[in-house]
Amino acid sequence: MSRHLAAAHDLVVPRAVVRHGTTTLVDVADLRIDAGHALTIVGESGSGKSVLAHALMGTLPPELVAEGTLEVGSLRFDLADRGGRRHLWGRRMALLPQEPALALDPTMRVRHQVAEGAAVWKPRAASALRLADERLDHLGLAGARSAYPHTLSGGMAQRVAYAAATIGGAQLLIVDEPSKGLDGDAVDRLAGLLAAHVEAGGLLLTITHDLRLARRLGGQVLVMRDAVVLERGPADQVLSTPVHPYTARLLAAEPSRWRFPWMTTPEPSGEEAPLVAAHSISKAYGDAPLFDDLSMEIRAGERWAITGPSGAGKTTLGNALLRLTSVDRGTVAHGPTAHGGRLQKLYQDPALSFPARVPLGVGLRDVMRRHDVDEARLGSLLATVGLPRDVLRRRPDQVSGGELQRIAIVRAMLPRPALVFADEATSRLDLVTQQMTVDTLMSEVVASGCALLLVTHDRGLAASLTSRAVSLNGGGEAEIVTTAAQPAMPGSSR
Amino acid sequence: MSTSLVQTEALAPVATTRKPLVRIAAAMGLLTLAIFAITGPLLLPDPAAQDLSRYLEPPTLAEPLGRDDYGRSVLSRLAHATRLSLLLAAACVATALVLGTAAGIAAAWAGGWVDAVLRAISEAFVAVPALLVVLLVSALASGGLWALYLGLALAQWVEYFRVVRARSALVLGSPAVEAAGLLRLGGAHVVRRHLWPDLRPLLTTLASLGMVTSILAMSTLGFVKVGLQPPRAELGLMITESFPYYDVAPWMSLAPVGVLFLLTVCFLGLRSTKETR
Amino acid sequence: MLARRAGQAVGVALLVSVLCFLVVLRLPGDAAYRIAAGRYGYDLVDQEAADAVRAELGLDRPAWQQLGGWLLDLVQLDFGRSLVTSHPVLEEVGYYLVGTLQLAGAALVLAIVLGGTAGTLAARRPGGLVDRLTTIGVAGVRAVPPFLLGLLLVLLLSAELGLLPAVGHGNAASIVLPALTLGTGLSGLIAQVMRDAVLEVRQSDYVLFAHTKGLAERWVVLRHVVRNAAVVLVPYLGVQAVVLVEGVVVVESLFSWQGLGHALVHAVFWRDVPVLQATALVLALLIVSINTVVDLAVLWLDPRPRRLEAAA
Repeated sequence: MSRHLAAAHDLVVPRAVVRHGTTTLVDVADLRIDAGHALTIVGESGSGKSVLAHALMGTLPPELVAEGTLEVGSLRFDLADRGGRRHLWGRRMALLPQEPALALDPTMRVRHQVAEGAAVWKPRAASALRLADERLDHLGLAGARSAYPHTLSGGMAQRVAYAAATIGGAQLLIVDEPSKGLDGDAVDRLAGLLAAHVEAGGLLLTITHDLRLARRLGGQVLVMRDAVVLERGPADQVLSTPVHPYTARLLAAEPSRWRFPWMTTPEPSGEEAPLVAAHSISKAYGDAPLFDDLSMEIRAGERWAITGPSGAGKTTLGNALLRLTSVDRGTVAHGPTAHGGRLQKLYQDPALSFPARVPLGVGLRDVMRRHDVDEARLGSLLATVGLPRDVLRRRPDQVSGGELQRIAIVRAMLPRPALVFADEATSRLDLVTQQMTVDTLMSEVVASGCALLLVTHDRGLAASLTSRAVSLNGGGEAEIVTTAAQPAMPGSSR
Repeated sequence: MSTSLVQTEALAPVATTRKPLVRIAAAMGLLTLAIFAITGPLLLPDPAAQDLSRYLEPPTLAEPLGRDDYGRSVLSRLAHATRLSLLLAAACVATALVLGTAAGIAAAWAGGWVDAVLRAISEAFVAVPALLVVLLVSALASGGLWALYLGLALAQWVEYFRVVRARSALVLGSPAVEAAGLLRLGGAHVVRRHLWPDLRPLLTTLASLGMVTSILAMSTLGFVKVGLQPPRAELGLMITESFPYYDVAPWMSLAPVGVLFLLTVCFLGLRSTKETR
Repeated sequence: MLARRAGQAVGVALLVSVLCFLVVLRLPGDAAYRIAAGRYGYDLVDQEAADAVRAELGLDRPAWQQLGGWLLDLVQLDFGRSLVTSHPVLEEVGYYLVGTLQLAGAALVLAIVLGGTAGTLAARRPGGLVDRLTTIGVAGVRAVPPFLLGLLLVLLLSAELGLLPAVGHGNAASIVLPALTLGTGLSGLIAQVMRDAVLEVRQSDYVLFAHTKGLAERWVVLRHVVRNAAVVLVPYLGVQAVVLVEGVVVVESLFSWQGLGHALVHAVFWRDVPVLQATALVLALLIVSINTVVDLAVLWLDPRPRRLEAAA
């Protein structure tokens, strides 16, 4: 790839502070990115890492106030001056935004959107469009030149946004949470592009909570929490032998490093009638088959995962097994122990799974009345998930996502279910919160002997929780994989 | 973007602190008008009593809004007109609301042919302006109150139907209702905990707007002389009748215009959420 | 989509016809008498003339025959003759339609220019002076019914300042007041929608990204903001078609503008049923046509699969 990056200068930020009212969101010092090196900031949501990125770029929302300076070579910029860096945008510094699908104008074909970023762009001039086509072809998007954004997959939209952000030849590339909503293959592909930018002598600042991506990019790593930097150093050192206890906790929260008692509890091997029996079911979305002629049985206590790339139909298969979605062909039968509210589901966004304007406790009381559950069981469940009783007086929008998902677990467990279907139930949670939530769920699952059906795009999570998997390839083929009698032990999947 | 950057309640819009004040003021204004509309006709003299010798008499302490071209008490006529507007509008809105909401929930819940039939009917109604329906229906019996009531209710139900149907379909298709189904909580739970709390603010807004539409439609029909007929005291009629005397007896015009404006502003201020159109 | 609109047009035609028919069926007093009066004047009419009218118009047939005959005529585009002027209804309606289209077109252009400008300016600084003034203006316009607005404008521009003719139809100046009345009413609602749409688009991720790509402000506005705001505004214009037609009826009556609304109100007053039916029908079909144009415009502006609920 021929790249004409502006003469390499290092970027130095002696100090950067961002405030919202009286709250300090970011307070970091001595930030430095060397040409040809990557700097990655890791941390959980709310740590201030994205705010820092936007403060450097000059794209903070008006209610946030920044202080500090940014130095590129001999040039100095005041972070408080929003307009001062605008002439650098696209040419010297570029931003690859979060959620590329939203960063593309829905009403414009992608080649025009990419061309806009080129330094030679003029309305109705062909040269920028030619350049845009070149870049899109290079990224394997030749077929998508004239597509509208809504027809692109998440990974394709990400690459289009990458082309648009880098076509102007900016040396500094700031990347904000690039792996959000992408499956493993798409993240790998993006990591390759980012690494190429660094190799070409560029400066790369990546904001992410994805430790795998941080390892792949190498260079320097900063760990942020509550507006400040807790630890910094070379990526391979910080991400394997951390010094700060918080970093250690963060690393231990990766599914591949989990060690929980329930991971070694064997599944019951009763030969009872199946809870759910699917017989040669097929379903297509438009012309694209999701699964075809698939047969499977889930028995009491078994732990199943449905894995595959995004858009492969994982959730649809799970819903079909619970008979929430119809199938095109085939039958799904439920055993006698699965009737009367004994199949439960946990949702990706727990906020949508509760009535929005009703206090949580009111909804739970309806469940308890319907299923004759006594107060003591609710109390013990709340204690297990580690939530105070007061939380039930709040509405769904007044508790955090992690807390709400734990209340959803309580709700699902109240009618003593035979099977719980967890549909990407922890994919929106931070690593540490995910670890805590999964532990809660699995402890309950193992204690009550109910079966688990897990839909996830995270292979590490699937391997840690389950021993049987349906793997969808996105092209209508499904493969049933059964590992040993027990879930994979930690360490083996790294 | 700003929402993902800063996840704090501190970013809640500033306007929320001012909104309740507006609503309280609107409610107070409506209460005052309602009291005037209820007690006025009981306490004040007969609005139809003519006294041609007191033709266009200017306001005095005993007669604060003066007298009109037939020497009738403007204040008394105004009280009757306000009562008529409020009662008739409320009746129309209540009818349209009950009819439209029931049909909307039925369509969203049942789907299939019920939905198809109800939607086909609503499509036809949606393209016919309320005023046209009222105009046609009130032509059935010119000056008749029931025709005006029927026309306004008939013209407005479709608005409730469309909004309620769209919103209910969204709510009924949500994960929350799916979860309630898996928990076997039943239809009563869905209506009580999911549909009703979600629809209530929407219906409040629609009803406030509906009151405005009804009151304005009534006065407009009176104005184009195809609604209620003289000598009935009605706001639109009062405005029409007073128009020729606007420079010799401005009190005659200002009184009904003021009440009309106050009524609409108060109902607009009562809306709980933003514009739904 | 076009099939859906066609279906809607048929539904509308049926609804209006049945309503009109009910009107005739329930006419208070003797319709024939009143029609005869309309034709010859109250002083000259007698029972004989009324009977003649009754027989001529077939008003003595059973109700279902009249309805059937009507629908049959409708299919053949035969609206009959005006009971009052005896001219063919189709000709009269054609004449009035031109007047209504002139007025509605002028008002719509005025409303989009006024409302669009105010909304866009208000969105530049939310909470600023322009924004507050626009909000107050929108609420004010909303609370004043068109007829009252028209009266105020007549008082101000015609009676007090003597700038413009108040009533009439013909010279170029006579369209100003009615168009201004109708346009001002619509502009408030358009300003509100435009403000919210522009504000939302300006804060969107794709506008921010367009900026950080290095695109100059005016190109960001022209290439991204305007088009995406239009995607919100245009379907809204379809919804406003109903408001526009309602306004037409009132404003035409107020200013004696020779259009469908004026004709409709007169027809109601004089019980001129063929004209009543035809004008009501054309007004309703006008709304369906506006919505069809809006559908096509949205299709052209926004390539995304259409959300059905947004349709009017």
